[in-house]
Amino acid sequence: MENVVAMPASKPAFGNGERANKLKSTRFGSKLVNDYWSGVFAAKEQGKKVVWYNGTYIPPFFHAHDLVWVHGEAWSAMLAARHREIGAQARGEQRGYDRELCSYARTHIGQMLIEMDKAKSGEGGASLDDPRIEAMMKLPPPDMIVNAYPYCSSGQQWDDITYRVFGKKVPMFTIQIPLLWGGRQDAGYLRGEEWQQRSRYVADQLVELTRFLEANTGRKFNFDRLSETMSYIKKAAELRLEGMALCTARPSPASFFDWIVSIAPMSFLPGDQNIVDYFQGVKDEIEQRVASGEGAVKDEKYRLFFDGMMNWNKVGWLADKFAQVNACVVAGRYTHMSFWQEPQLIDLGDPVLGMAQNYLVCPNNHGAPIMIGEIEKLCDTFELDGVVCHASRTCRGMTNAQFLIADSAKKYGRQAMFFEGDVADESFYKDELLNVRLEAMVEAMDARRRAA
Amino acid sequence: MEHVLTQMKQAAQAPMDYAAQWKARTGRQVIGLLPMHFPGELAHAAGCLPVILQDDEEPITIGQSNVFNFYCGFNRSIVDQTMRGRFDGLDAIMFGDHCVQLLGTADTIRAERPDLPILFNQLCTTLDAGWALRETTGTFTQLWKELEALTGAEIAPQAVTASIALFNRNRAQMRRLYDMRRKGLVAISGRDMQAVVKSSMAMDKKEHVALMDELLAAIPRRGPAAGGVPVYLSGHLCHAPKPALIDMIEESGARVVNDDLFVGWRFIHADMDEAMPPVDAMAHWYVEKNRRLPCPTRTTKGVDWEDYLLAEVERSGAQGLVVLMVKFCEPHMYFYPEIKEAFEEHGIPHLLIETEHEEMPVEALKTRVETFVEIAKRRATSKAA
Ligand code: SF4
Ligand code: SF4
Repeated sequence: MENVVAMPASKPAFGNGERANKLKSTRFGSKLVNDYWSGVFAAKEQGKKVVWYNGTYIPPFFHAHDLVWVHGEAWSAMLAARHREIGAQARGEQRGYDRELCSYARTHIGQMLIEMDKAKSGEGGASLDDPRIEAMMKLPPPDMIVNAYPYCSSGQQWDDITYRVFGKKVPMFTIQIPLLWGGRQDAGYLRGEEWQQRSRYVADQLVELTRFLEANTGRKFNFDRLSETMSYIKKAAELRLEGMALCTARPSPASFFDWIVSIAPMSFLPGDQNIVDYFQGVKDEIEQRVASGEGAVKDEKYRLFFDGMMNWNKVGWLADKFAQVNACVVAGRYTHMSFWQEPQLIDLGDPVLGMAQNYLVCPNNHGAPIMIGEIEKLCDTFELDGVVCHASRTCRGMTNAQFLIADSAKKYGRQAMFFEGDVADESFYKDELLNVRLEAMVEAMDARRRAA
Repeated sequence: MEHVLTQMKQAAQAPMDYAAQWKARTGRQVIGLLPMHFPGELAHAAGCLPVILQDDEEPITIGQSNVFNFYCGFNRSIVDQTMRGRFDGLDAIMFGDHCVQLLGTADTIRAERPDLPILFNQLCTTLDAGWALRETTGTFTQLWKELEALTGAEIAPQAVTASIALFNRNRAQMRRLYDMRRKGLVAISGRDMQAVVKSSMAMDKKEHVALMDELLAAIPRRGPAAGGVPVYLSGHLCHAPKPALIDMIEESGARVVNDDLFVGWRFIHADMDEAMPPVDAMAHWYVEKNRRLPCPTRTTKGVDWEDYLLAEVERSGAQGLVVLMVKFCEPHMYFYPEIKEAFEEHGIPHLLIETEHEEMPVEALKTRVETFVEIAKRRATSKAA
């Protein structure tokens, strides 16, 4: 989970040749993301301690403790979105990391190795075409590592390797966010004995995390600041959900891809007024579009759900691809079932339990029946005609339940299709296959309408 | 001794057939376990037959519609077997391991067999976390409750302690055999050793203990033929490598002296403390596991798989390491470079073989193994000189 930046320009020669009508307000996010990374690169000069972390949205704990944080996935996604992942992955492969391994992790670890090589050879870094990107690749090394990866064992092992690459010296803390299997009688979304137990378990670990931060900084953790940070996040999360809810309109004023580029402010940017302004801006623009009948896709004919991890080097490309067949991807598992999507659970007077609960409901941390139930609700709410599954080759975390998701879509009269790609390894993306399958899906949706 | 091995091989090859016969004979419940760390002792104490689910020989056919081809062969086979009805004789499944692919497989089983109870209790993976022991104790206590609900009968603590003692005995028997092989006191092929351990994952414990007594008494005290280069096998975290592959390694001039395979030393290496209250015994056994034999799916600071392997290769007198990596196995893919670098640094030959569920080009691999054996031999000779 993570994200980043502006969509790269793309003109896939396909369909009606239209481009996606992206929200303009999200551009503010690029500025925020750039400011955030600048802060990261200035961390050491400012004498700040740096935490590297992976997994769920735990930065409020770092923010409240005046630390600088680096999200490994965001970094990999950023490299992929800027098409800078290939060198990193090659370096990883050279050390023996198989290309079937999570490409997020491979990119991150590979880039880490490149920086280590440079440090060892005393080289400051070769001059690349874009000095800003070169700077971005040079992350300050971690003073602490925190892992809080729900569901996916790969996400945990990735940081185990980070710990090793840095010589097993950097203090590391791992938070377990166990799967909500949902097998007990009383199990359900946000309810049941398992939910209660797991919520407390994660909350206890978060309190332990504050002790870990205290021990490694020699400063007391300030829970009031945590509440303050969370107040901005809660507000921003509510605005985001209100903006999403407006997308029941036809045509949908925003698309899944707009929400994709809006992940960064929810996932890892500092919890301050900026993220509230960001989502206020997004919501305002959406309201304007609803009022004027402007859609995220010209002549919206079909409305779709996107399942799976994002294909970070293809965000803009895919947004246009669907627009070219008049299909608006309105919602997705990654965007609509994660990133503080249950803000009402957060009690600002004592936010830890509600935070733990938001971490537990990440998009793949429920057993399939409950998770698919939530997907179906979204498909009903947004009146979607079909489900597109991105079978991201190296991400089992998000592909695990996809056959069941596709079956469920079909059961409820929706079309379902798969396309091959990956989170951050372009070599697995098959454009021709996507074209053929998307065209077939569009035809099937047409035929269904004609028959109705 | 042959009839013992024959019985073991039958159970190892078709554990579900064995379980069906057991069930018909006893009228009791059969519980499937998914690997790798979930103990069978509690299920045994509840009067059930715990059977560790294995891949089978069949190619993946109908399972293809429910599992991607970039999942490990073990997961694909389990999904395929589910859809072929191979697990229909099970009364429940229990597991709690943290490999992301297994979690998906469990969901597929639940969707395909909605009536089959799945007792899922996720084990803590950071074994040196402050809460690991408390959490693990809670996990096994919960499992205890769930097993009682499943069988409709209370599980007495004394029964669990007795099961622990029986399982300990069985593990100790197999460790003894391992020991004798390592010391060159007996000649047992890699294929046969696999059958010994694999059958213990399926058979009624008492029956297996009796067979082991016989085997240990009858196995000729005669070392292996001279000339074989001693090698150590590592990897295959959840299921057994194909016996034909092990045959090929041994036919290429190598002699397996030890391993850390799941269907091998990993499964039998540690006992539970019979003097402790049973849940505590299980919890300690689990959280202390990594210190004895590191597993790439869990962490304990200061414990490294590559260090373990270096020490064990030396202790067993092996002259090389053969890494058997299941294609698409993420935990192994993450940690392999650490092993590779450590072995390169120490000048100990190692060979990576990636294994697949479908037919493997064993003949093509043979040349690589033969070359590796030659290198290992030469390196050992020059070291000795
Ligand atoms: S496999 Fe997927 S869910 Fe797991 S760490 Fe990689 S990107 Fe994250
Ligand atoms: S640990 Fe490896 S072999 Fe075991 S289920 Fe996971 S991927 Fe397969």
